[in-house]
Amino acid sequence: MSIIKTADLKRSFSMGTQSVEALRGINLDVNAGEFIAIMGPSGSGKTTLMNIIGCLDTPTSGKYFLNNQEVSKLKDDDLARIRNKEIGFVFQSFHLLARSSALDNVMLPLKYAGEKKNIATERAKASLNDVGLQDRMSHSPSELSGGQQQRVAIARALVNSPSILFADEPTGNLDSQTGDDVMALFKQLHKNGQTIIVITHEEDIANQAERVITIRDGLIESDKLVHENE
Amino acid sequence: MLFVESLYSAINSIRANATRSFLTSLAIIIGTASVIAMIAIGEGAQNALNDEIDELGGRVLSVYASQRKRGGVTYGSNPLIIKDAEALRDDTKVDWKITPSIEGSRQIKFGNNNMSAGISGHWTNYFDIQGYKISSGRNFTENENLSRKRVAVIGPKVATELKTSPRTMLNKELLISGVPFRVIGILESEGSSGWRSPDDNVYVPLLTASDRIYGRKTVNSISVSISNDQNIEEAMVAIEQVLRRQHDIGPGVDNDFRINDWSQYSDLRNEAVAIFTILITGIAGISLLVGGIGVMNIMLVSVTERTREIGLRKALGATHRAIMMQFIVEAMLLCLLGGIIGVILGAGMYYIFSSFQEWAFYIPLGAIIGSITFSAAVGLFFGIWPARRAAKLDPALSLRYE
Ligand SMILES: Nc1ncnc2c1ncn2[C@@H]1O[C@H](COP(=O)(O)OP(=O)(O)OP(=O)(O)O)[C@@H](O)[C@H]1O
Ligand SMILES: [Mg+2]
Repeated sequence: MSIIKTADLKRSFSMGTQSVEALRGINLDVNAGEFIAIMGPSGSGKTTLMNIIGCLDTPTSGKYFLNNQEVSKLKDDDLARIRNKEIGFVFQSFHLLARSSALDNVMLPLKYAGEKKNIATERAKASLNDVGLQDRMSHSPSELSGGQQQRVAIARALVNSPSILFADEPTGNLDSQTGDDVMALFKQLHKNGQTIIVITHEEDIANQAERVITIRDGLIESDKLVHENE
Repeated sequence: MLFVESLYSAINSIRANATRSFLTSLAIIIGTASVIAMIAIGEGAQNALNDEIDELGGRVLSVYASQRKRGGVTYGSNPLIIKDAEALRDDTKVDWKITPSIEGSRQIKFGNNNMSAGISGHWTNYFDIQGYKISSGRNFTENENLSRKRVAVIGPKVATELKTSPRTMLNKELLISGVPFRVIGILESEGSSGWRSPDDNVYVPLLTASDRIYGRKTVNSISVSISNDQNIEEAMVAIEQVLRRQHDIGPGVDNDFRINDWSQYSDLRNEAVAIFTILITGIAGISLLVGGIGVMNIMLVSVTERTREIGLRKALGATHRAIMMQFIVEAMLLCLLGGIIGVILGAGMYYIFSSFQEWAFYIPLGAIIGSITFSAAVGLFFGIWPARRAAKLDPALSLRYE
């Protein structure tokens, strides 16, 4: 079952008189349950692509279907609701609210979903439990290690049970050991059926996914399956 | 839930920038504090004034001669005379007490000290009407009035000003314009109420003043004390009827006297207090306006500083409305806290002021609720623009913001 389908997706940014074409025609199909890595040199358009398929941005031209619904024409608040329900984001720099506890950070998407407080608290606790942080719930980000902070961010991304989990350089700010832990967590999630798209620079991170897509100059250069042969 | 989250985020943000938040709300604090202090002072002044008027004799009317006019032309004045007072006294339709007053000042001398003092002549009921008490000695009698006896009751300050004590002066001779008078009574100190001070005046029987001191039958005023169960308006109508008959004033002709009603005087002063209050409230309003602009400014700074946070919240599903609410709640909370601190400060200022003035400490509840509500409204108004700016931020761009 296809959850993401794009047709000739283009995105250009105008900077004064110049115009940068970040995406120049992306055709991509993603099925439910896939674990994809997107690679490519810096400035190739990886983040731009993630923003569009993550409904943070809209394409300049082309079509985008999420769960068979065309979203490229939707209004801002409808996109906000789709992000809230269907998409979970994990960022390189964690993006946690510094003055809120881990639990409050994880509850945030549920608050925007209008969930009742007791239900939200239960689900956020369960989500923190899933990433192994059940005994760090009341800690604020500054009291957590980088790996723990990223796990809080992952718990937050998953708390609304999204169709897709996006991670833009999730291990970029972590040492290799903690990076591997995060990837192990992703693999675990994938095994439980979670669709995951990870953007990365690192070959060995990418090779832990099932499918690797390489982007260059706003176009897909290659798209291949990884064979589990170590 | 969303509101709670907004409130929570607002409290966090204000706490994280405590100094900045305090400085920002300073204008709101000052504005609210001055509104509270001024309204309380206005109220206190009004109460003090009302007390003063009651003391002056809220139920004592004074009648004075005034210009006689007909069709805009002045005919000169027709003075009040003792007979007018007698006519009022003899009219029994209204339950009132009457005394005419002849007033002026003369040189007085006791021992080797002399001074100029107010000397007034009245009927015997004058002290009763004014509510003055005699602390030692006695009042003059109707007989002493009729036989123009040279007796005087003095206010306690007369003695001090003549460099002696009231005790020494009692039953001694006081020279008024060189004529000896016997001091038969001393008044209790009344303190000064308004511009009059009964304490430094000398009181003599009316006819003594009329024949022996001033040599005239005209009186300066007639005091009319109306008993508590009588209506003041009706009494004024009755005075008018009697005096118009006495002065032979035909229909259509204006009165040649005026009745001074203390409550009118109080209305006038109340009006002045009200104008003062409006003025100060206006100034306070301007400072709240300036405060509001300061809050708007700091909220715009806050939106810029928190661009990445806004981007994140949007990525997690915050709608336009949710972001608007977050920043409006923050602006309102900032102003609301300023308003509450301002109320406390203003109450404190008034507390100190009222204790100096020996006024009762009282702040109208309406003023407290009104000024806190108003400061929150200032936050709402000046928070809208920054909040809109935050809500309109592009999420993808905001997440990239450094
Ligand atoms: N908001 C923007 N305004 C102007 N140009 C932009 C904007 N966003 C991206 N670009 C440009 O689009 C191109 C692609 O950027 P993008 O961030 O997608 O690259 P990336 O593949 O994620 O790179 P990196 O690996 O360094 O994160 C770059 O040339 C970038 O300068
Ligand atoms: Mg990128």
